[in-house]
Amino acid sequence: MTTHLSAEQLLHAYRVMRTIRVFEERLHIEFATGEIPGFVHLYAGEEASAAGVMAHLRDDDCIASNHRGHGHCIAKGVDVHGMMAEIYGKKTGVCQGKGGSMHIADLSKGMLGANGIVGAGAPLVAGAALAAKLKGTDAVAVVFFGDGASNEGAVFEAMNLAAIMNLPCIFVAENNGYAEATASNWSVSCDHIADRAAGFGMPGVTVDGFDFFAVHEAAGAAVARARAGEGPSLIEVKLTRYYGHFEGDAQTYRDMDELKEMREVRDCLKQFRDHTVAAGLLDISQLDDIDGEVERQIEDSVIKAKSDPKPPAADLLADVYVSYP
Amino acid sequence: MNRPPLTVGIIPNPASGRDLRRLTANAGLFSSTDKASVVQRLLGAFGATGIQRVLLPTDMTGIAAAVLKASRGRHARDNRWPELEILDIRLRQTVEDTRLAAHLMAERGVALIAVLGGDGTHKAVAAEVGDIPLLTLSTGTNNAFPELREATGAGLAGGLFASGRIPPEIGLRRNKRLLVREARRGLCEWALVDVAVSPLRFVGGRAISRAEDLAEVFVTFAEPHAIGLSALCGLWCPVSRQAPEGAWMRLHPEARDALLAPLAPGLLQGCGVVAAGTLEPGVAHAPSLNGGTLALDGEREIAFAAGDRPTVTLDSHGPLSIDVEAALAYAARHRLLSIGREHPQHPVNLSC
Repeated sequence: MTTHLSAEQLLHAYRVMRTIRVFEERLHIEFATGEIPGFVHLYAGEEASAAGVMAHLRDDDCIASNHRGHGHCIAKGVDVHGMMAEIYGKKTGVCQGKGGSMHIADLSKGMLGANGIVGAGAPLVAGAALAAKLKGTDAVAVVFFGDGASNEGAVFEAMNLAAIMNLPCIFVAENNGYAEATASNWSVSCDHIADRAAGFGMPGVTVDGFDFFAVHEAAGAAVARARAGEGPSLIEVKLTRYYGHFEGDAQTYRDMDELKEMREVRDCLKQFRDHTVAAGLLDISQLDDIDGEVERQIEDSVIKAKSDPKPPAADLLADVYVSYP
Repeated sequence: MNRPPLTVGIIPNPASGRDLRRLTANAGLFSSTDKASVVQRLLGAFGATGIQRVLLPTDMTGIAAAVLKASRGRHARDNRWPELEILDIRLRQTVEDTRLAAHLMAERGVALIAVLGGDGTHKAVAAEVGDIPLLTLSTGTNNAFPELREATGAGLAGGLFASGRIPPEIGLRRNKRLLVREARRGLCEWALVDVAVSPLRFVGGRAISRAEDLAEVFVTFAEPHAIGLSALCGLWCPVSRQAPEGAWMRLHPEARDALLAPLAPGLLQGCGVVAAGTLEPGVAHAPSLNGGTLALDGEREIAFAAGDRPTVTLDSHGPLSIDVEAALAYAARHRLLSIGREHPQHPVNLSC
């Protein structure tokens, strides 16, 4: 699997990454106003992972996300205004304002949901992958989890199940170096999460999460493997988050000089622009145009979400499993 | 004046052996746990051959931590491991960590550096250390430069050489290298085994796994039993490590001739061979493509476009490395590992 991408595919990948970045940076500002209920965990800095994996997926491929799920939603094609409205808790949100940031989902796009329980997405995608296998489709299921979740039993159980049942499942460990405030080089034994794949008899690789093309290649190989009935894979994507674990996290546990260097030198959007333009595949003006369009899209989505209606009180008893009198 | 302790360095690359080829081929894993074990085997061999101090860089994957813990245990004491000094460097988790460790070891005047990694790791160390000999150990994926060898025997060979008991003309060999230069960017990079020209436009996942992604290969040496890109020349126009010349091959999927070659472990690809020949030292070759990437020792590293003018030149100024077989053959002939009754591991001193 290699990086023979058309100009259209390259522009789409850039648009996805830029949309995630602008969406998250705007939330960073808006959350501070106090208008957004609950918590938000921003994905800025990690865009190449979501864009690189999702470039290989279709709507009938399922993904499960974690608490840091906005980027996965955008890359999977969930409507940006619907997401913004959901995060604002509005009726027009993709879950009618009931899910918020940490439970945002869109089944029509195969997005099974963000998840507030660490590691809980892994068993969900094992189920989705089993469903695809039983139905005889070539759909795949992908879970995104962090270095903290890589230590959770549920993740190991899902990997074991996926391996013994040869499920079309891809485990993407987004290792941003910190489980909340705990450094992964302290908390993850054997340190390379990819090494753990060997214990389940599946291939595991580590890729540079600042480089869209590195993620894209690895994900392409893993998805092709899964679609061909060759079973699960583990991809460890090494990256960083630009903001705190949650909005409001002072990040006293991090070396901010290191973060500054990553942002200025290794940033995935910067690298993408530099490489595609230097290779003569895209013009800088095409990328600048996308930047402008995305800025306007996010601005519109915020304005609209703020003015959208809240769910009525009657919605509290709608869409629940039990009928109340 | 006190003589400084006889010191060697060990550089394990924590990142080697876990790239994309575990997905695209059947490449195996060389875990950090395995690498820590290899370092411990080296320490045992170095201790037995008179090395007094070993420098080991810190890392983010637990190799140095595991070795440090083991160095305080019974096994280390019984086997008289050398003193272990951890080089506390600021880690970037890139190849710069390897380069910095090599540079610091050279500054400290080590007699030898044991390298655990693939061709790329050895290349990074070699470019920093001048004529300090390398003890090469393969823990990568497609390795031609470091041989696949058990670390204990290799450590004995390295330790005997570093402690002056094996003459350089027996225990050392001089290697060739390929210099990749690109004037516009001021680049001058090394490769120890091969430089491949690929039409792929991005560095991306670095590995090259398909024949159609190869346009040209230049090699310093190519052995018929090689794995990786040098296997192409190895199975068509082999050239030894000792020969002054190298080899080149131009490839295209529609060429009249084709060769089945192992581009990675378990990955046999049919490659169309347009032409092949001898690579003479000192002659600069420009890639046949106007744009693409250059893979140095198996990994795409340099992207180039139409305006760039990279060149590839073979020369004989590569690193010195320990010839483990020759060194141990010499050790056997001269009974360098015979021990007297005063040695703690002499049978008379071992309790039943």
